Amino acid sequence: MTQTLTSRVADRLRAIVGDDQVITHPDRLVAYESDGLTAYRVVPRAVVLPETTDQVSEVLRVMHDEGIDVVPRGAGTGLSGGALPTPDGVIVGTARMNRILSINEQNRLARVQTGVVNARLTEATAPYGLYYAPDPASQSTCTLGGNVAENSGGPHCLKYGVTSRYVTGLTVVMADGEVVRLGGAGLEAVHGLDLVGLFVGSEGCFGIATEIEVRLLPKVESIRTLLGIFDTMEAAGHAVTDIIGSGLMPAAVEIVDNATIVAVEASVFSAGYPVDAGAALVVEFDGTEAGLDDDADRAEQCCLSAGATKVIRATSDEERIALWKGRKKAFGAMGRIAPDLLVQDATVPRTRLPEVLARITEIGREYDLKIANVFHAGDGNLHPNILFDRQNQEELERVEKASREIMTLCVSVGGTITGEHGVGVDKRAYMPLVYNDVEMDMLRSVRRVFDPDGRLNPGKVVQ
Amino acid sequence: MTTVKLAGAMEAQRERLLPCVHCGFCLPACPTYNRLGDENDSPRGRLHLMQAVVEGRLDPESDAFQVHIDRCLGCRACEPVCPSGVEYGTLLELARETSSNARPPDPLTRGLLRVMASRMLREILFLGGRALRVMGLASAMVSVLGRIRFAGKLRFALAMLSATRRSVRLGQGIMAAGMEPQDTETKITHAPRVGVGSVGILRGCVQDGLYRRVNDATARTLDVNGYDVRAVTRQDCCGALHAHGGALTAARNLATRNIKAFERAGVDWVVVSAAGCGATMKEYGVLFEGDPMEERARAFSAKVRDVSELLAETGPRSGASVDCALAYDHPCHLMHAQGITSEPLKVLEAVPGVEVRVIAKADECCGGAGIYGMTHPDLGSRIGGDKIAAVRDVGADLVCTPNPGCMMQIGAGFCLEGDVQEVVHPVEVLDESYQRAGYYR
Repeated sequence: MTQTLTSRVADRLRAIVGDDQVITHPDRLVAYESDGLTAYRVVPRAVVLPETTDQVSEVLRVMHDEGIDVVPRGAGTGLSGGALPTPDGVIVGTARMNRILSINEQNRLARVQTGVVNARLTEATAPYGLYYAPDPASQSTCTLGGNVAENSGGPHCLKYGVTSRYVTGLTVVMADGEVVRLGGAGLEAVHGLDLVGLFVGSEGCFGIATEIEVRLLPKVESIRTLLGIFDTMEAAGHAVTDIIGSGLMPAAVEIVDNATIVAVEASVFSAGYPVDAGAALVVEFDGTEAGLDDDADRAEQCCLSAGATKVIRATSDEERIALWKGRKKAFGAMGRIAPDLLVQDATVPRTRLPEVLARITEIGREYDLKIANVFHAGDGNLHPNILFDRQNQEELERVEKASREIMTLCVSVGGTITGEHGVGVDKRAYMPLVYNDVEMDMLRSVRRVFDPDGRLNPGKVVQ
Repeated sequence: MTTVKLAGAMEAQRERLLPCVHCGFCLPACPTYNRLGDENDSPRGRLHLMQAVVEGRLDPESDAFQVHIDRCLGCRACEPVCPSGVEYGTLLELARETSSNARPPDPLTRGLLRVMASRMLREILFLGGRALRVMGLASAMVSVLGRIRFAGKLRFALAMLSATRRSVRLGQGIMAAGMEPQDTETKITHAPRVGVGSVGILRGCVQDGLYRRVNDATARTLDVNGYDVRAVTRQDCCGALHAHGGALTAARNLATRNIKAFERAGVDWVVVSAAGCGATMKEYGVLFEGDPMEERARAFSAKVRDVSELLAETGPRSGASVDCALAYDHPCHLMHAQGITSEPLKVLEAVPGVEVRVIAKADECCGGAGIYGMTHPDLGSRIGGDKIAAVRDVGADLVCTPNPGCMMQIGAGFCLEGDVQEVVHPVEVLDESYQRAGYYR
């Protein structure tokens, strides 16, 4: 049972961030009980919404004095329960820390507050001919602080890499309120042991990054986007293997299965995928104009020889955006099929995709669950979406069992338990599938270096 | 227990709440969340509160439900970005009904809804309003009241009133300023028909009381473009203000009168020049869900068109030059609720000499939202202030936006800052162009 904050502690917090930025009434805490993973619900003890590094530091000092757990939260869009509250913990929300601090055009760097929305950085840097490369499907709403915590990827990380490749500096508030500055002013500024690299992907367990410096890329000159329609998932999988095997370097290779196509087409983001297709494959190339058509032609050939029934090329920006919308908004569109959704996340070697997908379909059948697949096929990152109804306790148990089998399957073919969503609470139980006891101890030891008392996002990643 | 009974209206909406998967795509679209950063002030958070009421975990009388449901502007910017198609606007109206059953809304809101629902009270209010408006009396009072404490609400109301004055700059055409032409629908000489159908115009409450010239311009410009404009008697306020406030029974009563009036008139199209009214009338079908009137309401809704939709359909016909730069803002209830963005701009394109400058963040609410500036002065003035700044940035002669609420809000914003900024509806500009071209002689 959640215990409320004593008025003395609440008053100390209000004195730091202002009355309206401290939420303690149980009725107003209900909205914070889940992040993007609604299968779990825990009402927090309080929510604090600071605006500056100094405020975060002071808030964490109070939490340290009082021995209260802290759970950081960005936009609450995470899919592994990383921002799930603990009943005794206080949420530190970063929604009000949404200022872009500087854009350095010459050095192609930006410094932002942690609550800045991913896509907003790209919008703000567009006038300089720059953009921020990592593009999680939730980029229109997720925060860069959340991206740092989860080391987020996205469709284009096949070519461009994930968040860790772009973070060059961090201002971090530690568990005791101490402020540290890691790296800064470009990649070259990281000397000796790479603490920035260590911090990215720490899922809120090492500290709260309040300011982030990221590398920007020059906008790509041209883009070609193809959509291949296949009767079976297997054929689409073969096309991916052929494309990568032929030496092409696509910016993104994405597959959606039939169940997903049906959901997306029924939503406002309908992208014109045929609803009777077994799988749809999106392949994108970007770079300098010269040679792009040739790449696209070769990829089209790979699709056709793997058995594509149709290959469509986007001929305008609008068409390209529409094709991507169908993929990027797939998660929300699932709401049309079932009340609740568990977006799983795992990675397998690319060549094993077809057999893994066939087995996932079987698992769905065995547990009588609807599973819709969306994935970053280029790097073997699977997102099986398990649809269910939270009200049905028995079904919830089947969801858990099926999830575990999917994870075990992915690990057994040489893959791992997450591609980009992080471990959070949802994957914690699967950690022993990929780490032995010695490795698990190493993880715990590293965590203790940053947070000796274990008060930052407790219960996440490792116990 | 009362909680269970009061939650009744919400309970029936369980199915409507289910599609929300908590993805959070709505967050950056929400003007209140962007400024406050509290999940409770986001669409996802408000849906979560509604869900908690349905589940019996939250009392509709609680401050949490009351305050956060009330604080929503109802701009519906969250709807087009929702991949699950959550009908937020409809859910909000039902939540407001549940909320106001649990705790009656403030006297100002209640009084205003009462007045709007009665033709007679409305006439009296707007007669007084027009009297204050002439000779700049309203704006003079705004500056005087600026020096008196606790006069905030009255001052805001007067600023809104003063914003409804006819544009002097635009009205340098044939018609003398201040002369409101009456019953133009029956007096215009008809242009050649191009067979696009008969229309009846919803005259509305505020629109009829303070923006009669927009209704008249709507009639004249449609006529020029070949529509057969017919007078529709015994029509009433559309009920949008009531529906948004959760007074759904009052809204249905008003809607019923309109459905009957337009059925009697037998017109092909029901035309509206106020975005807020259009959005509500296009959703009469949902308002009457499960009611014997539902089928008639749906048939009515299918005929509703914003004036810009009909004009854009025909071209519209080009007129004489009106040299001015316009700062254009999209009304939420046109853009988000009806998905109409290009049509009003197409209307303005038909006017030679007009330069349209769409302001930054034109897709964000101006903070009008009924009487939000009076019920939520702090947040309302922050949202309104950002809009005024965006308008100033483009440096145009006139502001142009096709909804009376937004016209008043933006005009009032300038008035409160001690400036005069004329705000016009796109059909007023087209109308001026037609007058100068001599189409009405």
